Amino acid sequence: MSVSPPAVEIRHLVKDFKTSFRRQPLRAVDDVSIRIMPGEVYGLIGPNGSGKSTTMKALLGLVAPTSGQCAIFGKDSLKVDSRNEVGFLPENPYFYKHLSGKETLEFYGKLCGIRGSTLKDRVTELLELVDLTDASHRRIGGYSKGMLQRIGLAQALIQRPRLVILDEPTAGVDPIGSREIRDLIFKLREQGITVFLCSHLLEQVQEVCDHVGIIFRGKMVKEGRLEDLIAIEDQTELILKDADPGLIAEIEALIARDAKAELIRSGKPRTTLERLFLRETKRQETQPK
Amino acid sequence: MNPLPAIAAIPEHAARIAVIAFHAFTQLVRMKVFYFLAFFALILIASNFFNLPQHEGPEAAGVDVLRAIKSWSLGAMTLFSVVLSIVSTALLLPKDVEDRTLYTILAKPVPRLDYLAGKLLGVLLLVFVSLAMMDALMTGILHIRTNMVLADQMTFAEARGWPAEEMEALKTDILAQGPTASLQGAVLSVFLRATIIASLALLISTFSTSTLFTTIIAFLIYFIGHFQADARAAFLSQEAGMSDGILAKSVTLVVALVLPDFQLFNVIDAVIEGQVMPLVLLGKLTLIGLFYVVFYIIASWLIFAKKEF
Ligand SMILES: Nc1ncnc2c1ncn2[C@@H]1O[C@H](COP(=O)(O)OP(=O)(O)OP(=O)(O)O)[C@@H](O)[C@H]1O
Ligand SMILES: [Mg+2]
Repeated sequence: MSVSPPAVEIRHLVKDFKTSFRRQPLRAVDDVSIRIMPGEVYGLIGPNGSGKSTTMKALLGLVAPTSGQCAIFGKDSLKVDSRNEVGFLPENPYFYKHLSGKETLEFYGKLCGIRGSTLKDRVTELLELVDLTDASHRRIGGYSKGMLQRIGLAQALIQRPRLVILDEPTAGVDPIGSREIRDLIFKLREQGITVFLCSHLLEQVQEVCDHVGIIFRGKMVKEGRLEDLIAIEDQTELILKDADPGLIAEIEALIARDAKAELIRSGKPRTTLERLFLRETKRQETQPK
Repeated sequence: MNPLPAIAAIPEHAARIAVIAFHAFTQLVRMKVFYFLAFFALILIASNFFNLPQHEGPEAAGVDVLRAIKSWSLGAMTLFSVVLSIVSTALLLPKDVEDRTLYTILAKPVPRLDYLAGKLLGVLLLVFVSLAMMDALMTGILHIRTNMVLADQMTFAEARGWPAEEMEALKTDILAQGPTASLQGAVLSVFLRATIIASLALLISTFSTSTLFTTIIAFLIYFIGHFQADARAAFLSQEAGMSDGILAKSVTLVVALVLPDFQLFNVIDAVIEGQVMPLVLLGKLTLIGLFYVVFYIIASWLIFAKKEF
């Protein structure tokens, strides 16, 4: 066996959209190259309209590149067989509202050639995974935004793909649901599944991704390992618990004695609003009624 | 390696097309399209009484009713099958695009041709099931009514003391107006016509931007299809005097290839009159139907394969 091909290989992708007859075509993606190795979690971040979704659609063969190539595990995106090993969650997914959650997963499973008891087990397993077992017999038409997002995630995973592409997986999902989706991405990473996601919620990308790319007006402006990109090389952080003021004064004195080191900031770290929200809602949940 | 991977993949394609077809069928059924069957039943019952007051002579009495039942039923079948074919085909594709469900389907290993074929097959399945149900209703009522008419006429003829062979002839005449094999052939022709019109609507919906546009154009072509043969003939005879008849011929040939000639289906009217439909004719209609379905599907695919979402 030769070296395994990258999970995602986008080379010099350019995508123009025709706007109107006279005006110049709109360049949604401009010479973007991305390479994601198997097992990586890659986050593409950028403002609205910067070309994130378009890049993903080109990778899935939903739009044809104006120039450049896309490949999934070495297979050209314009060929159908490249989609055997990929699961896709589009932004604001919507499914057939006449089907129940369970029927939806069965439909997508059958499209991937899964049948019989294998399909049944897989559907049960996925409904459990995305916490929709109770709603599995309800029609999708009555699902909430977060439920749609979760059924979309389950649908993307139905054939156990080696690559999962998530377009804003947590858009419109409440903090608890969004945390669950994040945990799920961690779980996928543990299983060695490659994840390619995009979002403009930077905090979340920071939490789950090991590689990031920043795209702006169709151009890739920065790319690399997250750690390398965000580390502030010349700073060190100390977080203490139950430290009395005397100890802190001592430390500050120590720093003052050092010729080079400089204390930039000290004080109480703040919890994020998100963490506060999660803690309080959890407390309500566990309290007896 | 399999030397013929394309052939080896056929069952896989067929399975996928079946999945999409059954899904489209369920979708349409859950849109409650079968409610129109109640209408059909009403039409059928009404047709029973339609011609009653104006019977000409005692011999014709009853036979008119049988004709009326057939004529109204087949008329309703034509209407329902054409409307169902056009509207449901025009609805399914844009709905998937608008709801963005198409993304999730095409992101699975589903060739676009399979998707199109599946959708079309789903619509055809719906039309077929509807026609089968209408056919069963019509045949049942026609059967009962034919026996009633037959009994009436026989007692009438006996009372008049008709000779045996004339009685026999009368019986054959009446039975020819009943539920014959040709009648089933006529229903099948209605289905074939719906098949052609559905695949035409599929082709239109691959490039149209709205359901309304698809519906209007499809109906327009359906009506044009009823006199395109006359138009072609008129055009040819007009051009016949000129030297370059080849051009005119090729133009009309192209028109005939693209636009189906629905006059071929006038045989349905003959069946209503009680005539026999030759099997060869049915075979011919089947072949024509098949030709247009394949032709339109391939054309739809050529357009749809280049589409971006
Ligand atoms: N089908 C299309 N036709 C014309 N223009 C399009 C089409 N799809 C996208 N665009 C344009 O391409 C640009 C990039 O769009 P894209 O959806 O990729 O952005 P995005 O990064 O996903 O934004 P968001 O964060 O809002 O989802 C936008 O300016 C958009 O208007
Ligand atoms: Mg987007």
